[in-house]
Amino acid sequence: MFAYIVRRILATVPVVLLVALFVFSLLYLAPGDPAAIIAGDQASPADVDRIRESLGLDRPFLVRFFDWFFHVIGGDLGVSIFTNLPVSHMIAQRIEPTVSLMLLTLTLSLSCAIPMGVIAAWKHGTIIDRAVMMTAVFGFSTPSFVIGYLLAYLFALQLDWLPVQGFTSISVGLIPFLRNLILPATALGLVFMALIARITRATMLDVLSQDYVRTAKAKGVGQRGVLFVHALKNAAVPIVTIVGIGFATLIGGAIVTESVFAIPGLGRLTVDAILRRDYPVIQGVVLMFSFIYVLVNLGVDLLYTVFDPRIRY
Amino acid sequence: MDRRDFLKTAAAGAVSALAAPNLARAAGSSVLRFIPQANLANLDPIWTTQYVVRNGALLIWDMLYGVNEKLEPQPQMVESHDVSADFKTWTFKLRPGLKFHDGEPVRSKDVVASIARWMVRDATMGQVIKKRLDALEAVDDRVFRFRLNAPYSKMLFALGKSSTPCLFIMPERIAATDPFKQISEYVGSGPMRFMKDQWVPGAKAIFERFADYAPRAEKANWLSGGKRVNFDRIEWNIVPDGATAAAALENGEVDWWETPLPDLVPLLKKHANVAVDIADPLGNIGSFRINHLHPPFNDVRARQAIQIALSQEDYMGAVVGSDETLWKTIPGYFTPDTPLYSEVGGERLKGKRDYELAKKLLAEAGYKGEPIVLLVATDVSITKAQGDVTADLLKRIGMNVEYTALDWGTVGQRRAKKEPPAQGGWNIFHTWHAGADCVNPAPYIALNAGGDTAWFGWPKSDLVQEKIDAWYAASDLAGEKKAIDELNKAAMDHVVYVPTGFFKGYQAWRTNVSGIVKAPFPVFWDVTKT
Repeated sequence: MFAYIVRRILATVPVVLLVALFVFSLLYLAPGDPAAIIAGDQASPADVDRIRESLGLDRPFLVRFFDWFFHVIGGDLGVSIFTNLPVSHMIAQRIEPTVSLMLLTLTLSLSCAIPMGVIAAWKHGTIIDRAVMMTAVFGFSTPSFVIGYLLAYLFALQLDWLPVQGFTSISVGLIPFLRNLILPATALGLVFMALIARITRATMLDVLSQDYVRTAKAKGVGQRGVLFVHALKNAAVPIVTIVGIGFATLIGGAIVTESVFAIPGLGRLTVDAILRRDYPVIQGVVLMFSFIYVLVNLGVDLLYTVFDPRIRY
Repeated sequence: MDRRDFLKTAAAGAVSALAAPNLARAAGSSVLRFIPQANLANLDPIWTTQYVVRNGALLIWDMLYGVNEKLEPQPQMVESHDVSADFKTWTFKLRPGLKFHDGEPVRSKDVVASIARWMVRDATMGQVIKKRLDALEAVDDRVFRFRLNAPYSKMLFALGKSSTPCLFIMPERIAATDPFKQISEYVGSGPMRFMKDQWVPGAKAIFERFADYAPRAEKANWLSGGKRVNFDRIEWNIVPDGATAAAALENGEVDWWETPLPDLVPLLKKHANVAVDIADPLGNIGSFRINHLHPPFNDVRARQAIQIALSQEDYMGAVVGSDETLWKTIPGYFTPDTPLYSEVGGERLKGKRDYELAKKLLAEAGYKGEPIVLLVATDVSITKAQGDVTADLLKRIGMNVEYTALDWGTVGQRRAKKEPPAQGGWNIFHTWHAGADCVNPAPYIALNAGGDTAWFGWPKSDLVQEKIDAWYAASDLAGEKKAIDELNKAAMDHVVYVPTGFFKGYQAWRTNVSGIVKAPFPVFWDVTKT
């Protein structure tokens, strides 16, 4: 197992490098000029050229790429063109809100979606099943920003219970932290919850028709034991797979949700950097996301062994 | 207590804690929470000319002169000045007791270094002074002097100009930075200090009161007078989404929003605790920018065809909506309701729009249906609205429009290309100019018609340049007005660009905040909060 983990972690290196080359090339080819944005409307074309030169953006592709690449290898993600701050510092400033949002979203989604899916499968064909599936369809078909606006309108503007926007670090206190994050996590989590609930229901329906479930019932195991001990554990592998895949959806969703709720996270950092063509920041954030995504997939693969002892690496 | 009781108690506690009245509202009155027009992504007001940077810089750095609401430069860091009769020697004396945020006194050598850096980057007045400069010297710690080789009567306006880049005074060691490279220390002598360690670009910027700031005795008026800030701390919160910003203002989570979206203003006006008013009385002038280098618009008849067909009402309706108090038509290039405003030569922009005459002029200019590349920045509402109206207008006068939807960053790059439109160049793009930059020709780079040295589109007209020079040479208001009338006509006849109308925007604030004034920039001094 240990050797497998080491191999997988080593395998992430070429993946991340390929992503780096791809992103760098894409940004090089993409139109847009940070120097023109910095210089502003009043600047002359000569001034724009001077700024471009001072930023090193006039250098050939390979020179720029290898310069950046060797700095990355040395652990230096570079300096933002606009803020003059190290990219690693900017990412560090933004990582807590995004990680907090994602973890809370995952917690909320899984804690609601799995019982919903299990109950829907258990009560298959009843009004409860249909209600759960209707909720799932609603979650799928409503964009998270719409949910976000509705939640903010209801819970912030009308009921005055929660703030509209912003983020408070957990170091300030758990309650202020949750007050700021509960609405965005709900808005972001609804799609995820719908996805997990549907997969859980479908997998559980399949598992509940298996012989060993019938055997467990015949041995006198209670309904709760059948559902959550025997059936759910065997349905876990596809659910864990979907949770891993859904992580990418969460990253995309976080960009929108962070904008709607003005959360200073990595999603907004990425959007701002793209709009301004802040190349070092875009490259740094994409590298980090690709690395995290590879690690999440590794985690998913390892979790398979927990739920299904037949799987060995 | 059994397990169920425990869970019920815990859940009830959590709900009541989360549902407590919004604590943000109870934030101390010594903090002002402000939503600026854009993200403050950097803070070097010489390196970049973005307005949001200028607005932040106004808190940190002080200026030698500052304009009042009549656009008159008033002494700010300067105590007195002396000018020779031929306007070639200007001597200035600094006020005593000026200090930088690091505790060092402000000296003439700091001023000289700051002027030197600014002159390189200010394409309008700074470079005019630089060309005439024989010497700029620190006479002693409080006195500095310009010695020019040609008269320059607009010196005070240049030193106090509010258009970007403004002349901010920095310590010599910082001002010595290459003007094309960004500074990394934000030390000024203005009323607020920048808290760099708390800065999260894209999210928040914090300013704290500078205890040693020495305001002037006069009452503050825009950038002049005593800049007394009544808050220990000013927080700039970057809220990228307009609807969220409106909700945050309604909910009392912020105190002042610089640029509310026009669509949301009716909603804000209905809220009992929110006040809404015009932000900048000098407004903005919409711009239909034409590339003069390539057919058909290298022929003045094709450019005049646009003037004859263009309806400013259509553009303004698209840009600011149905609120007619927000806009007006302007058959001229200068800001309405300012001393030099002129309509001389603007006849083609007035009256009924004549598409047939426009088509005839286009034919005379040799237009035969070639694609017209219209660059539209679709991520900026003002340019998107203007671009859509233009696409319709061009079709009405028989032009073959190639609508090129881009983001503003890409338009910024593409508009610099001088190649023919079919080879990656362009024919038309839209922008707008702050009215404060269009009050006279000095900061008005878009009106320059110097060909290669002109702004994007590269109009070339010796007559226009001659009239700009005439304005510089004028020594009184009557002389300036005469020069401006002639300049407006020459520029209209040459069609340097086509103004699409004059429009204003709103600002909004909580009603417990008072002292907010109408200005081209947010004025934080004398604002109070209860």
